[in-house]
Amino acid sequence: MSKHAVILIALATVLAGCAGSPHRAVPVVESGAPLSPGAMRDSRVRQSTGTTQPAQTSGVTVMPQGESEAIQTYAAPSAPIGGIEIYNDDSSRQPSSANTSAPQASMPIGGQARLAADEQLDGPVLALLTTAQQQQTGGDFNGAASSLERAQRIAPREPQVLYRLAEVRLAQGDAAQAEQLAQRGLSYSNGRPTLQAGLWDLIARARTKQGNTAGAQEAQRRARVNL
Amino acid sequence: MTKKSTSRPTRKAANQRKAKAPRRWLGLFVKLSIVAIVLLAGVLIYLDAVVQEKFSGKRWTVPAKVYARPLELFAGQKLTKQDFLVELNALGYRNEASASSSGAMSVNGNTVDLHTRGFQFYEGAEPAQAIRVRFSGNSVSSLAQTNGRSLAVARLEPLLVGGLYPAHQEDRILIRLDQVPDLLPQALIAVEDREFYNHYGVSPKSIARAIWVNTSSGSLRQGGSTLTQQLVKNFFLTNERTLLRKATEALMSLLIELHYSKDEILEAYLNEVFLGQDGQRAVHGFGLGSQYFFSQPLAELKLHQVALLVGMVKGPSYYNPRRQPERALERRNLVIDLLVEQGVVDAEQAKEAKQRPLGITKRGSLANSTYPGFIDLVKRQLREDYRDEDLTEEGLRIFTSFDPILQRKAEEAQAQTYKQLAGRKDIDKVELAMVVSNPETGEVLALLGSRLPRYAGFNRALDAVRPIGSLVKPAIYLTALEQPSQYTLTRYIQDESFSVKSQSGKVWTPQNYDRKEHGTVFLYQGLAQSYNLSTAKLGLEMGVPRVLKTVQKLGVERQWPAYPSMLLGAGSLTPMEVAGMYQTIANGGFNTPLRAIRSVLTAEGEPLGRYPYTIEQRFDAGAIYLTQEAMRRVMTEGTGRSVYNRVPSSVVLAGKTGTSNDSRDSWFAGFGQDLLAVVWMGRDDNGQTPLTGASGALQVWANFMQAAAPSSLNMTPPDNVVMAWVDAYSGLGSAKGCPGAVQMPYIRGSEPLAGESCDEPSYLPAPVESVKSWIRSWLN
Repeated sequence: MSKHAVILIALATVLAGCAGSPHRAVPVVESGAPLSPGAMRDSRVRQSTGTTQPAQTSGVTVMPQGESEAIQTYAAPSAPIGGIEIYNDDSSRQPSSANTSAPQASMPIGGQARLAADEQLDGPVLALLTTAQQQQTGGDFNGAASSLERAQRIAPREPQVLYRLAEVRLAQGDAAQAEQLAQRGLSYSNGRPTLQAGLWDLIARARTKQGNTAGAQEAQRRARVNL
Repeated sequence: MTKKSTSRPTRKAANQRKAKAPRRWLGLFVKLSIVAIVLLAGVLIYLDAVVQEKFSGKRWTVPAKVYARPLELFAGQKLTKQDFLVELNALGYRNEASASSSGAMSVNGNTVDLHTRGFQFYEGAEPAQAIRVRFSGNSVSSLAQTNGRSLAVARLEPLLVGGLYPAHQEDRILIRLDQVPDLLPQALIAVEDREFYNHYGVSPKSIARAIWVNTSSGSLRQGGSTLTQQLVKNFFLTNERTLLRKATEALMSLLIELHYSKDEILEAYLNEVFLGQDGQRAVHGFGLGSQYFFSQPLAELKLHQVALLVGMVKGPSYYNPRRQPERALERRNLVIDLLVEQGVVDAEQAKEAKQRPLGITKRGSLANSTYPGFIDLVKRQLREDYRDEDLTEEGLRIFTSFDPILQRKAEEAQAQTYKQLAGRKDIDKVELAMVVSNPETGEVLALLGSRLPRYAGFNRALDAVRPIGSLVKPAIYLTALEQPSQYTLTRYIQDESFSVKSQSGKVWTPQNYDRKEHGTVFLYQGLAQSYNLSTAKLGLEMGVPRVLKTVQKLGVERQWPAYPSMLLGAGSLTPMEVAGMYQTIANGGFNTPLRAIRSVLTAEGEPLGRYPYTIEQRFDAGAIYLTQEAMRRVMTEGTGRSVYNRVPSSVVLAGKTGTSNDSRDSWFAGFGQDLLAVVWMGRDDNGQTPLTGASGALQVWANFMQAAAPSSLNMTPPDNVVMAWVDAYSGLGSAKGCPGAVQMPYIRGSEPLAGESCDEPSYLPAPVESVKSWIRSWLN
């Protein structure tokens, strides 16, 4: 008798299998959503970083100046043995206070940095900092950091980019990196006292988070000096 | 239904066991039928499970895709129009009269209009948009949307430069039916299976026609397989031609048709079909086929391209358009004719399409090259964070810092150098490795693991551990210059023979490359001229362990024993490690681990991982500045000066040559503001080469920098550095305008006392700044 039962079950199963959900909705594409570049147009758009159009300020150039203008003069074709080869290149050697832009910056102290209008960044960097700001406000710290790194690739020596990157890292809890990035920013901030003050303030906060009270106080002192 | 009705006699037969003889036969027959039905049912159950499992689960595993950096566009960007067009060509942009649709461009003098395709990046989606890029000289002068609206920055989609395949891997770019140009399914159905929308998986009509054609012609000319059957064959079965396989194929085709819609089957077919073999990688699906042959997204393909791909389905290697262009062209035109015949396209369109060339990207062009050296680096960095299966199966998208244009320039620079070196003894045995990075971001931009750039074997850039020779010297001078009270660039040091006895009693007697002594020299000259005697002496003054500490702080993790010979580069590093070490010097004393990967997205475009920019200050900016100054003088007056035979002298560069014992290794490492490159040349068997650092590696470096046009090294002194006028011969303090006076940088407080002014009355007043700094130097 059990043989019959088995047969019955088998047949029932076949039928169930055949009848089972014909033309049901099948997952269309699984392991890979569209991978080709053209495909992306259809997918949900998170944020259009490229089109962010902040108010254009006809500002100062973002890239630090003074590299391509470097004019070298070789006073003597070959200095006598033991002599220093003469290299009078005043233009690229001006003490740093001379090559600054927008000295009256108002870098807000204390975290919630807005774009300081009179720092006068222009074009791509301003656009990307604005995008990063939006991402940061929306809680997307990774996206913000990523946009800021994009800005940093475009203007690697712009201290405001490093300042913002340090802010994001601090917000993400990486105080050590925040301090380092701010230090790097300082190395490009000669002649921009307000920005320097902002960076020192950030360093103070980063040091406090790392438990370095003395270092934080020192940084706070320098933040005041630079203001 | 038939199955159900057979179950009734079953019960009857069981109930009437004691029947008469004729009935027994009937009973046996019924029993046998039952067995057959059960067997068939079992087979069906099994096949159905197979079909459903494959179709409802993950149908394909897809290897990770590796993308180059996207090209950024903004006003003021350093980019030549020529390089821009190279990139656009590699991305498969079509040159049209006006760039009206995605993937089209039009060039007019210094203006390039293009319609970008848009792309999903880690930070967000870059929209597809029509933009206008204007060039002036070697940079972008303006960027705007074509409709006149302003645009601050835009990105092109990144070039796909490779994938992470295990051996013998199927590769594909998955597509959905709605991303396919309408023409493609129409053409496919017209050519392969006219009855596709009318049959249930097998087409008796097609089979009959095939039998008719084959018997009347006397040979196997036509197959009666439907698209469904072809899909089943590719999906589940082997290639053998047996009746049993045919039967299974037919059954499975019926089952698939029962469960899934025609569109789903068609979509699966479009992704599954095999279109060619690329080395060990099998090219599957029209999505990848389009990229592989045309470097274009499938959605952009035109009639002649669609016809070519559809024609290839019949025999991907027989009709391979790269190997058999004439055969492929003939097949393509045949397909176009067929489409006219069936009314899919009109005669006009067909005529136009048939006049087009195949339009296949050339092998070895930027669009169709492999970069095994760089991909290897990417793979190694990924393996630290992802499992192998994730990398080869999940379709991850890897965004890297790879710059295909710089890579091309590096490849050309080395090829050119080998040509220049032709005739030197055993030059054929000399291998090469090269690492190019951006010191400001720590990103690796290009990499050569071999003099044969397409060679996927031994990656010398990452794995050749070789003595670095004089490349170690900047570490010695940096160690010295960190103590400004004792060492300045113009301090005297003695370049004369000496010997030291190690603790084990071994005597070490260094020698200069030219076997001469150079007497008293300025400290910086020891580095610029790469004098071994004075440098080794300087290193011993500070102590070998201290110098090695500096090497470690520069980013080298390898431990070297503290032998005096380490001071002249007996320690070994890979080119990549050297790049990391020089990176710290180039980047103002801030160490950045070299990165090749920016971010990773899932196949669906969701952010998965990021490799953030991290830095750590390791050295005082002033000490680094002075070291850079000495390395700058390597290029203007020292062992590296031949670089300015190729690079304009206005470009400030810093670097160092390196040659190991008996010229076994030829090194050069150096940088401008935004480019750092390390070149190593040597033999795999560690034999002698006919090269020094200057005659070998430096030549590759110079050829590369000539093409890559780095920005001048920014020599703005940091806060604690002052410029002072000194006498070029004595190094004593002097003043501007004095005969032989030159300006040298010093850490504040370490500069020599200023000399008497030599200003003649007729001279213009001395620049305010130098006076100010002069006063400042006194005040401090």
